[in-house]
Amino acid sequence: MLEAQNLSKTYSGTPALHPLSLKIEPGEVYCLLGANGAGKTTTINLFLNFIEPTSGTALVNGLDVVQQPLESKRRLAYIPEQVMLYRNLTGLENLEYFTALGSTETFSKGQLLAFLDEAGLPAGAAEKRVSTYSKGMRQKVGIAIASAKGAKALLLDEPTSGLDPKASNEFSALLKRLSDGGAAILMATHDLFRAKETGTRVGIMKHGRMMAELRTEEFGHADLERVYLEHMHD
Amino acid sequence: MLATIVRKEFTEMMRDGRFRSSAAITMALLLGAFALGWQHYSEVNAQHEAARKSTRQDWLHQGDKNPHSAAHYGVYAFKPKMPLSLVDHGVDPYVGVASWLEAHKQNEFRFKPAQDATAIQRLGEMTGATVLQLLIPMLIVLLTFPAFSSEREQGTLRQLLSLGVRPAQLAWGKALGIALALSVLLVPATLLGSAALALSADQGAMAASWPRAAIMALGYLAYFAFFVAISLAVSAVAPSSRFALVALLGVWIFNGLVVPKAVSDIARLLHPTPSAMEFARQIEHDIENGINGHDTTDQRAEELKQRLLKQYNVDSVEKLPVNFNGIRMQEGEEHGNDVFDKHYTALWQTFERQRQVHELAALAAPVLAVRSLSMSMAGTDFAQHAHFAKAAEEYRRVLNRKMNLEIAHHQKPDDSGFTRGEDFWATMPDFQYTAPDLAWILSRQRLSLALLAGWMVASLVAMAAAAGKMRV
Ligand SMILES: Nc1ncnc2c1ncn2[C@@H]1O[C@H](COP(=O)(O)OP(=O)(O)OP(=O)(O)O)[C@@H](O)[C@H]1O
Ligand SMILES: [Mg+2]
Repeated sequence: MLEAQNLSKTYSGTPALHPLSLKIEPGEVYCLLGANGAGKTTTINLFLNFIEPTSGTALVNGLDVVQQPLESKRRLAYIPEQVMLYRNLTGLENLEYFTALGSTETFSKGQLLAFLDEAGLPAGAAEKRVSTYSKGMRQKVGIAIASAKGAKALLLDEPTSGLDPKASNEFSALLKRLSDGGAAILMATHDLFRAKETGTRVGIMKHGRMMAELRTEEFGHADLERVYLEHMHD
Repeated sequence: MLATIVRKEFTEMMRDGRFRSSAAITMALLLGAFALGWQHYSEVNAQHEAARKSTRQDWLHQGDKNPHSAAHYGVYAFKPKMPLSLVDHGVDPYVGVASWLEAHKQNEFRFKPAQDATAIQRLGEMTGATVLQLLIPMLIVLLTFPAFSSEREQGTLRQLLSLGVRPAQLAWGKALGIALALSVLLVPATLLGSAALALSADQGAMAASWPRAAIMALGYLAYFAFFVAISLAVSAVAPSSRFALVALLGVWIFNGLVVPKAVSDIARLLHPTPSAMEFARQIEHDIENGINGHDTTDQRAEELKQRLLKQYNVDSVEKLPVNFNGIRMQEGEEHGNDVFDKHYTALWQTFERQRQVHELAALAAPVLAVRSLSMSMAGTDFAQHAHFAKAAEEYRRVLNRKMNLEIAHHQKPDDSGFTRGEDFWATMPDFQYTAPDLAWILSRQRLSLALLAGWMVASLVAMAAAAGKMRV
């Protein structure tokens, strides 16, 4: 479960996020939409305790992320916009390392390879050094890292950026499986189509403010795009 | 988990071309320095052994002559070179390792303790100690400065810190990973060095050297730990890798070059030593005029004569039952010894005070602590030099006394052809020097040991604290 209570962030007088209250229950996929600079990454960074909130609290499974920075992080998985890995290690070694540090479970090499395969990394790439990877391939390793962590709260910052359509589609299926398994997912995205497909709710942000929240089941694709564009007009 | 971090850091470093090349260069320099040190050690040792034998043979076979001439003929005393001196020459190049013992003169010392040499000069010498005290810390800085800052710059730190790993644990893992990488360099070098020594050095000397080698190694490890920890601390909080590098090079220069140079200047300023010429002039003056300045050689001879005439109740030196010349020479010798004692005691004290300044200055730079420890374990520090010099001087006094008393008791006043030969020379035992044991040496290194340990602990605490403060 992910919860924001009057969470806000101001950078030297300029608000990046106005007080936001938000609750994402297990099984929900909440998609954050909004123009560049709307405050999506800021929200996610607040949940990660990477930046200090100006006011309010962020809770992961009920744990205050400022009070319990390590415990709360152990309960979540994170995929950044640009997954960055150790270039001198192979994809498999990267996954092995991050999993060993982040997960209480230990996985066999076969299981790790299965995570990479599930994330759509081409067979044979797993044992190559990351310095030879394309952006999308790194992203897939990031997805494998997140799914291997087995967390019940996911923070995804444009996770499919750079993924080809097939990989995006597989990622949507993975999200579906995770949320069916009881994960609470917060995903920032620019992809209205995917938001409608995978999200259970969408929130439209503008200049650090939550403008509208919709349940995806109540809208068609065309409706979502129309509402979004309406809010983007000044 | 720690093991995982260590393994990953180690693997990454091993795959990094920069590590391989810089480690290869450092390794070559270290082995080169050891090889040169070893060559020097075995050469000097062989020379000393030969010279020690020949000085004894020369003494025994100097032929029949007056014992006073024999005292002038003199002998050499050699400070035994410890096997570990090949790692650290210490003050040996400045004070010498042999001493010429003859009548009337306390062995002369060159007035140039090692502290006078600037770090740059020492860099040029390229001994094991230079590599260990200056180059390996530089290697550590170059390998460690980007540890956290480049992870931040490349974005892996976000990924890493999102896992909920304790940052201090990350820092420990990195520290041990670097330690492991360094050990790839240091362990073979140490083993090679030890093997070479064990093959060439005398067994007794080697047996005494193992504990010293272990303490020396621990000292250097603590010193390296300081550099690893401080580099990680700076890397964790530095705004950029470039900043971390510049800051750490600053630490390296301050520790290795600035403080040692400043401290030797300050030590000499606070506790100045006379120049060699001035020192010799003062001694000559006191010998001539007496310690109190109004007691010339002639006056003293006259007083001695009156005292002896009275004691034996005779009216001329010719009628004395003892040889006046022998007695007079021994009196002169003893007077000289008093003068030497006065001046040398003061000089030793000045050196000791200078050394204390250096020792205390390790509060500002850990290199001074490890340098002191290293020299002492190598047997090349000033304290052990002084110990040897005093033993040699003691021997010189015994020898001179023996020669003078032989004249005093056996030479008839009119017997100008009085001589002694090999039988008599052999009654003077050879110079046997027992170097101080480990307890003696360690008791003089307490402060350096404490400061070294203090630096290591403080830097590790700083490392953990800085890691805790780290932002993505
Ligand atoms: N470190 C910072 N210092 C000052 N302002 C910042 C900082 N980080 C973000 N901002 C500001 O906060 C606002 C929100 O930025 P944020 O990164 O959350 O946007 P975003 O919705 O993720 O945009 P994008 O779609 O481009 O990823 C922007 O106006 C940005 O300029
Ligand atoms: Mg963003």
